[in-house]
Amino acid sequence: MEALSQFFAAIVHFTTPLLLFHVAWSTLLGILVGSLPGLTATMGVALLTTLTYTLDKDAAILVLICMYVGAIYGGSRSAILLNIPGTPASAATSLDGFPLAQKGQAGYAMGLATAGSAMGTLVGIVLLVLLAPALAAVALDFGSFEFFWLAVFGIVISGQLTGGVSPLKGYIAGILGLMVAMIGSEGIHAHIRFNLGFSELNGGIALIPAMVGAFGFAEVLSVMWRKKSVLSAKELSEDRILPKLADLWKYKRTIARSGIIGTLVGIIPGVGEDIGAWASYAAAKRSSKERDEFGKGSKEGLTAAETGNSAVVPGALIPALTLAVPGSAPAAVLIAALFIHGVRPGPMIMIEQPDFIYSVAAMLFFATLAITIYGLSLTRIFILVLRIPREFLMPVVFTLCVIGPYALTQRVFDIWVMVGFGLVGFVLRKMNYPMAPLVLGIILGSLLDKSLRRGLTLSNGSLEPFFMRPISAMFVVVIVLSIILSLPAVQKAVARWIDRLMPAGKRTGEDQ
Amino acid sequence: MQPESPTADRVTAAVLLLLGGAMCWGGFVMDRLEIRQIHPASIPGLLPIFLGFFLMICAIFLALGTRGKTSSETDDTPKETGNWSDFAFAAVWSCLFAVGMVSRIPFVVASAIYILVFTGWYLWKPSGEDGKRLRMMLLVTLYAVLVAIGISVLFRYGFLVRLP
Repeated sequence: MEALSQFFAAIVHFTTPLLLFHVAWSTLLGILVGSLPGLTATMGVALLTTLTYTLDKDAAILVLICMYVGAIYGGSRSAILLNIPGTPASAATSLDGFPLAQKGQAGYAMGLATAGSAMGTLVGIVLLVLLAPALAAVALDFGSFEFFWLAVFGIVISGQLTGGVSPLKGYIAGILGLMVAMIGSEGIHAHIRFNLGFSELNGGIALIPAMVGAFGFAEVLSVMWRKKSVLSAKELSEDRILPKLADLWKYKRTIARSGIIGTLVGIIPGVGEDIGAWASYAAAKRSSKERDEFGKGSKEGLTAAETGNSAVVPGALIPALTLAVPGSAPAAVLIAALFIHGVRPGPMIMIEQPDFIYSVAAMLFFATLAITIYGLSLTRIFILVLRIPREFLMPVVFTLCVIGPYALTQRVFDIWVMVGFGLVGFVLRKMNYPMAPLVLGIILGSLLDKSLRRGLTLSNGSLEPFFMRPISAMFVVVIVLSIILSLPAVQKAVARWIDRLMPAGKRTGEDQ
Repeated sequence: MQPESPTADRVTAAVLLLLGGAMCWGGFVMDRLEIRQIHPASIPGLLPIFLGFFLMICAIFLALGTRGKTSSETDDTPKETGNWSDFAFAAVWSCLFAVGMVSRIPFVVASAIYILVFTGWYLWKPSGEDGKRLRMMLLVTLYAVLVAIGISVLFRYGFLVRLP
């Protein structure tokens, strides 16, 4: 009850003309960024962070959260109309959204995607308000030993789930991120490591230039490398946009399940919206009565994917706020932005700023309201945005990539860092190395380093507390199991074991 | 050599092995700050040693994973195709702008030239005959100048950034 009253108090606090104006423009900008293939939510949040330095704390965080929610939602536009996800989060959306557009129901598909996104975010907001304070309370018991394993857990899980068929490449990306974090002055004795003789590296590699490079410049290069996309021929059909209540009621279980799955996926460090969408889509397909329709224009599939990816946003903010460990790549940028604006995310947040979590929930609520209004009223206008040629858009994006990181420190060196990360990021992407563990590694490197050395100092060099304290032991078991289960030989053995337990005939219904 | 080929993975494994080895060695020989009488378990090189070691392990597994595979083998997953010449121009010109032009000439001029050349390069050929092409280039020039001025004014006077 107290949580509810704090949430309503936060909503009242944000209901001022100026803050509502910020909600309006930043959500609209987010939808535009998300709807353009090549502009991701992470890039949008990273670039907008550089534009919020002069805003006050509430307005700056509000603007970034609205951009995040808007961009994740906006990705559905191009997924439905072009069969190209505007952001990776909308990859599952295109499976059923594009076939619906081809059947002349593009407007209805976008209306359904809007409703799914709004409800997914609302489910996530409820879970954020319920879980975040509890998680912060648990995290107060965390010591150096637990934080060490939390950082390892983040890298391992993120590497495994985002690495696709090869978790090894995910682990490598994570280790490379951690290695980047080793550059510069370390956090215990202020000793400068690996600066290679450049005094500019004494302070380390800043997150914003690295993120803008890895997600901005690399994306510009990827867009120019790819072939041009073609808009769906039937996208401007005069079909219904407002979703039917009967359809939404029919899929109420799918919406609730996808919302919960999305939020839980969001809580897992560094996993992100795309996995949330795929997990929700797979769960919906398994339990659907119309599973044959999935992939051919299923309204249920579209709803599940959009609800799932949008629910990840509040979910990803739960560990970001309470543990300072991002649940997704855009949440990683948000953590950096929180520090810039004087908010210290972590277990102490409920003690230092107890109302902040409810403020974030209120910000998410306003962003949800905005995407619903925009999504249902401006659908046909968003289609025009997709017609902007990439040749006009990409140089502007890159110019912002150059001036954005420079604006933070006014150092030309940060522009070089951005360029370096962009080129390396492009090569790694082409070689199927995921970017999320790399970013998570940069964020968690300092935590991992300090927790390991502090823990060893506290235990006088003994490894026992790393394995024997209850929470540490739990982390160790989960990490070891995750790594073992990712080995191909073990996966084959498990599959054989399942085959023996459940003969093929019994499973055909589920496999279809 | 395709970026997703076994050959590329082998080359990457070799690079990562060297990088891991260098990190491991760098951590090992790093100053242990004995003069400051710190706890031996808190030496700054500790984590880099572990990270270098684990990167080498991963590199070995990456190399082992390519055993018996050749670059001519293809799997069933569809490969994304792209235009490498478009990419090359975008990469070279963007790097030239960021590293060579910014901070050497005023930002507003550098960004206008960058946008003009970038957009003009890709639209020159598809614009067709001379008259149409001239109109397109005038439009691109106007666009580049307006965008460059817009971004510069926003950062200089909106966010009070001393432009490079």
